[in-house]
Amino acid sequence: MAGELESCKPLSGLLSGLAQDAFYGHPGITEELLRSQLYPDVPIEEFRPFQAKMRGILKSIASADMDFNQLEAFLTAQTKKQGGITSDQAAVISKFWKSHKTKIRESLMNQSRWDSGLRGLSWRVDGKSQSRHSAEIHTPVAIMELEIGKSGQMGCLRGSQETKPKQTWKQFLDVSPLC
Amino acid sequence: QLIDFQWKLGMAVSSDSCRSLKYPYVAVMLKVADHSGQVKNKSFEMTIPQFQNFYRQFKEIAAIIETV
Repeated sequence: MAGELESCKPLSGLLSGLAQDAFYGHPGITEELLRSQLYPDVPIEEFRPFQAKMRGILKSIASADMDFNQLEAFLTAQTKKQGGITSDQAAVISKFWKSHKTKIRESLMNQSRWDSGLRGLSWRVDGKSQSRHSAEIHTPVAIMELEIGKSGQMGCLRGSQETKPKQTWKQFLDVSPLC
Repeated sequence: QLIDFQWKLGMAVSSDSCRSLKYPYVAVMLKVADHSGQVKNKSFEMTIPQFQNFYRQFKEIAAIIETV
Protein backbone atom coordinates (compact mmCIF):
# COMPACT_ATOMS: atom_id res chain seq x y z
CA MET A 1 0.00 0.00 0.00
CA ALA A 2 2.88 2.36 0.72
CA GLY A 3 3.90 1.89 -2.89
CA GLU A 4 0.52 3.26 -3.97
CA LEU A 5 1.03 6.44 -1.99
CA GLU A 6 4.50 6.90 -3.39
CA SER A 7 3.29 6.76 -6.98
CA CYS A 8 3.45 10.21 -8.48
CA LYS A 9 0.68 10.19 -11.03
CA PRO A 10 -2.20 10.78 -8.67
CA LEU A 11 -0.18 13.21 -6.51
CA SER A 12 -0.62 16.02 -9.03
CA GLY A 13 -4.36 15.45 -8.93
CA LEU A 14 -4.30 15.40 -5.14
CA LEU A 15 -2.45 18.73 -4.99
CA SER A 16 -5.02 20.24 -7.37
CA GLY A 17 -7.87 18.97 -5.22
CA LEU A 18 -6.24 20.25 -2.03
CA ALA A 19 -5.62 23.65 -3.64
CA GLN A 20 -9.27 23.86 -4.74
CA ASP A 21 -10.33 23.29 -1.17
CA ALA A 22 -7.68 25.24 0.75
CA PHE A 23 -7.18 28.26 -1.53
CA TYR A 24 -10.08 28.61 -3.93
CA GLY A 25 -12.78 27.72 -1.41
CA HIS A 26 -14.34 25.17 -3.74
CA PRO A 27 -17.01 23.31 -1.80
CA GLY A 28 -17.43 19.55 -1.66
CA ILE A 29 -13.84 18.41 -1.96
CA THR A 30 -13.88 15.84 0.79
CA GLU A 31 -11.15 13.47 1.90
CA GLU A 32 -13.26 10.54 0.69
CA LEU A 33 -13.76 12.12 -2.73
CA LEU A 34 -10.02 12.59 -3.18
CA ARG A 35 -9.26 9.08 -1.97
CA SER A 36 -11.83 7.34 -4.14
CA GLN A 37 -10.89 9.32 -7.25
CA LEU A 38 -7.11 9.24 -6.91
CA TYR A 39 -6.07 6.48 -4.51
CA PRO A 40 -8.96 3.99 -4.62
CA ASP A 41 -6.87 1.08 -3.37
CA VAL A 42 -5.56 2.88 -0.30
CA PRO A 43 -7.55 2.50 2.92
CA ILE A 44 -8.83 5.71 4.51
CA GLU A 45 -6.68 5.29 7.68
CA GLU A 46 -3.56 5.43 5.52
CA PHE A 47 -4.82 8.09 3.16
CA ARG A 48 -5.84 10.53 5.88
CA PRO A 49 -2.35 11.29 7.32
CA PHE A 50 -0.88 11.29 3.81
CA GLN A 51 -3.24 13.95 2.47
CA ALA A 52 -2.83 15.94 5.70
CA LYS A 53 0.94 15.94 5.18
CA MET A 54 0.59 17.12 1.57
CA ARG A 55 -1.94 19.77 2.58
CA GLY A 56 0.43 21.03 5.29
CA ILE A 57 3.33 21.25 2.85
CA LEU A 58 1.22 23.12 0.29
CA LYS A 59 -0.07 25.56 2.91
CA SER A 60 3.45 26.27 4.18
CA ILE A 61 4.66 26.99 0.66
CA ALA A 62 1.71 29.27 -0.11
CA SER A 63 1.81 31.06 3.24
CA ALA A 64 5.45 31.96 2.81
CA ASP A 65 4.95 32.75 -0.88
CA MET A 66 8.15 30.84 -1.51
CA ASP A 67 10.40 31.72 -4.40
CA PHE A 68 12.13 28.89 -6.20
CA ASN A 69 15.25 28.91 -4.00
CA GLN A 70 13.20 28.77 -0.83
CA LEU A 71 11.04 26.05 -2.38
CA GLU A 72 14.02 23.83 -3.22
CA ALA A 73 15.49 24.25 0.26
CA PHE A 74 12.14 23.55 1.91
CA LEU A 75 11.38 20.44 -0.16
CA THR A 76 14.91 19.08 0.31
CA ALA A 77 14.45 19.41 4.06
CA GLN A 78 11.12 17.55 3.77
CA THR A 79 12.80 14.63 1.97
CA LYS A 80 15.35 14.30 4.80
CA LYS A 81 12.72 14.27 7.55
CA GLN A 82 11.46 11.11 9.23
CA GLY A 83 8.06 10.40 7.65
CA GLY A 84 8.72 13.09 5.07
CA ILE A 85 8.36 12.90 1.31
CA THR A 86 10.29 11.13 -1.44
CA SER A 87 12.38 13.09 -3.91
CA ASP A 88 9.94 12.11 -6.68
CA GLN A 89 7.09 13.57 -4.64
CA ALA A 90 9.18 16.69 -4.05
CA ALA A 91 9.56 17.06 -7.82
CA VAL A 92 5.80 16.82 -8.35
CA ILE A 93 5.13 19.41 -5.61
CA SER A 94 7.77 21.72 -7.07
CA LYS A 95 6.24 21.49 -10.54
CA PHE A 96 2.78 22.09 -9.11
CA TRP A 97 3.81 25.23 -7.19
CA LYS A 98 5.65 26.66 -10.19
CA SER A 99 2.58 26.42 -12.41
CA HIS A 100 -0.05 27.42 -9.81
CA LYS A 101 1.83 29.96 -7.70
CA THR A 102 0.38 33.05 -9.36
CA LYS A 103 -3.22 31.86 -9.28
CA ILE A 104 -2.99 30.70 -5.65
CA ARG A 105 -1.40 33.97 -4.59
CA GLU A 106 -4.15 35.92 -6.33
CA SER A 107 -6.78 33.85 -4.56
CA LEU A 108 -5.11 34.47 -1.18
CA MET A 109 -4.97 38.20 -1.90
CA ASN A 110 -8.67 38.19 -2.73
CA GLN A 111 -9.40 36.44 0.56
CA SER A 112 -7.68 39.31 2.35
CA ARG A 113 -9.75 42.00 0.64
CA TRP A 114 -12.78 42.74 2.76
CA ASP A 115 -13.62 46.18 1.52
CA SER A 116 -15.62 46.63 -1.67
CA GLY A 117 -13.75 46.50 -4.94
CA LEU A 118 -14.15 48.45 -8.15
CA ARG A 119 -15.99 46.08 -10.47
CA GLY A 120 -16.50 48.44 -13.38
CA LEU A 121 -16.04 51.97 -14.54
CA SER A 122 -17.74 53.89 -17.35
CA TRP A 123 -17.88 57.60 -18.04
CA ARG A 124 -19.21 60.27 -20.32
CA VAL A 125 -18.34 63.92 -20.87
CA ASP A 126 -21.24 66.28 -21.60
CA GLY A 127 -20.78 69.76 -22.94
CA LYS A 128 -23.71 71.49 -21.28
CA SER A 129 -25.08 74.59 -22.88
CA GLN A 130 -27.15 75.58 -19.88
CA SER A 131 -27.40 74.56 -16.26
CA ARG A 132 -30.29 74.92 -13.84
CA HIS A 133 -27.97 75.85 -11.01
CA SER A 134 -25.59 78.10 -12.79
CA ALA A 135 -25.86 80.82 -15.37
CA GLU A 136 -22.66 79.69 -17.02
CA ILE A 137 -23.07 78.61 -20.59
CA HIS A 138 -21.13 75.68 -21.97
CA THR A 139 -19.91 74.06 -18.75
CA PRO A 140 -18.41 70.65 -19.38
CA VAL A 141 -19.53 67.88 -17.06
CA ALA A 142 -17.91 64.52 -16.51
CA ILE A 143 -20.32 61.80 -15.43
CA MET A 144 -18.85 58.59 -14.07
CA GLU A 145 -20.57 55.37 -13.19
CA LEU A 146 -18.63 53.18 -10.77
CA GLU A 147 -19.69 49.63 -10.03
CA ILE A 148 -18.59 49.05 -6.45
CA GLY A 149 -19.17 45.84 -4.61
CA LYS A 150 -17.85 42.91 -2.67
CA SER A 151 -17.76 39.61 -4.54
CA GLY A 152 -21.35 38.51 -5.04
CA GLN A 153 -22.70 41.99 -4.42
CA MET A 154 -23.14 44.83 -6.84
CA GLY A 155 -23.85 48.47 -6.30
CA CYS A 156 -23.62 51.42 -8.60
CA LEU A 157 -22.35 54.85 -7.87
CA ARG A 158 -22.97 57.57 -10.37
CA GLY A 159 -21.39 60.91 -9.84
CA SER A 160 -20.90 64.00 -11.85
CA GLN A 161 -18.40 66.73 -11.40
CA GLU A 162 -19.44 70.15 -12.66
CA THR A 163 -17.85 73.53 -12.87
CA LYS A 164 -14.61 72.69 -11.07
CA PRO A 165 -13.54 69.54 -12.86
CA LYS A 166 -10.03 70.70 -13.59
CA GLN A 167 -9.10 71.17 -9.94
CA THR A 168 -10.14 67.71 -8.87
CA TRP A 169 -8.59 66.00 -11.86
CA LYS A 170 -5.35 67.92 -11.42
CA GLN A 171 -5.14 67.00 -7.75
CA PHE A 172 -5.70 63.39 -8.73
CA LEU A 173 -3.20 63.33 -11.56
CA ASP A 174 -0.44 64.85 -9.43
CA VAL A 175 -0.78 61.93 -7.08
CA SER A 176 0.21 59.14 -9.37
CA PRO A 177 3.98 58.46 -9.54
CA LEU A 178 3.18 54.73 -9.66
CA CYS A 179 1.87 54.83 -13.20
CA GLN B 1 -22.20 65.27 -7.34
CA LEU B 2 -18.65 64.52 -6.29
CA ILE B 3 -17.77 66.56 -3.20
CA ASP B 4 -14.49 65.03 -2.14
CA PHE B 5 -12.01 62.37 -3.19
CA GLN B 6 -9.61 60.84 -0.64
CA TRP B 7 -7.09 58.12 -1.25
CA LYS B 8 -4.65 55.92 0.60
CA LEU B 9 -1.85 53.71 -0.65
CA GLY B 10 -1.51 50.68 1.61
CA MET B 11 0.59 47.54 1.82
CA ALA B 12 -0.99 44.41 3.27
CA VAL B 13 1.96 42.64 4.88
CA SER B 14 0.45 39.50 6.33
CA SER B 15 -2.91 37.83 6.92
CA ASP B 16 -4.31 34.73 8.55
CA SER B 17 -4.48 32.97 5.18
CA CYS B 18 -1.07 34.08 3.94
CA ARG B 19 1.84 35.05 6.23
CA SER B 20 3.82 36.62 3.44
CA LEU B 21 1.19 38.64 1.60
CA LYS B 22 3.15 41.68 0.37
CA TYR B 23 0.15 43.15 -1.43
CA PRO B 24 0.03 46.85 -2.29
CA TYR B 25 -3.40 48.42 -2.85
CA VAL B 26 -5.07 51.80 -3.29
CA ALA B 27 -8.08 52.57 -1.10
CA VAL B 28 -10.42 55.38 -2.18
CA MET B 29 -13.08 57.28 -0.20
CA LEU B 30 -15.58 59.24 -2.27
CA LYS B 31 -17.96 61.79 -0.80
CA VAL B 32 -21.03 62.13 -3.04
CA ALA B 33 -24.10 64.37 -2.68
CA ASP B 34 -27.42 63.34 -4.20
CA HIS B 35 -30.14 65.67 -5.60
CA SER B 36 -31.51 66.42 -2.13
CA GLY B 37 -28.07 67.38 -0.91
CA GLN B 38 -27.64 64.30 1.27
CA VAL B 39 -23.99 63.31 1.48
CA LYS B 40 -22.89 59.69 1.31
CA ASN B 41 -19.46 58.12 1.70
CA LYS B 42 -18.42 55.31 -0.60
CA SER B 43 -15.16 53.47 -0.14
CA PHE B 44 -13.50 50.80 -2.22
CA GLU B 45 -10.15 49.14 -2.80
CA MET B 46 -8.15 48.60 -5.98
CA THR B 47 -5.18 46.47 -6.85
CA ILE B 48 -2.32 48.36 -8.49
CA PRO B 49 -3.26 47.23 -12.04
CA GLN B 50 -6.87 48.26 -11.37
CA PHE B 51 -5.67 51.62 -10.10
CA GLN B 52 -3.50 52.12 -13.17
CA ASN B 53 -6.54 51.56 -15.36
CA PHE B 54 -8.58 53.92 -13.16
CA TYR B 55 -5.89 56.56 -13.53
CA ARG B 56 -5.75 56.12 -17.33
CA GLN B 57 -9.51 56.68 -17.55
CA PHE B 58 -9.19 59.90 -15.54
CA LYS B 59 -6.40 61.09 -17.77
CA GLU B 60 -8.64 60.51 -20.79
CA ILE B 61 -11.50 62.42 -19.18
CA ALA B 62 -9.20 65.31 -18.31
CA ALA B 63 -7.92 65.48 -21.88
CA ILE B 64 -11.46 65.51 -23.31
CA ILE B 65 -12.75 68.08 -20.82
CA GLU B 66 -9.98 70.43 -21.92
CA THR B 67 -11.25 70.26 -25.49
CA VAL B 68 -14.98 70.60 -24.82
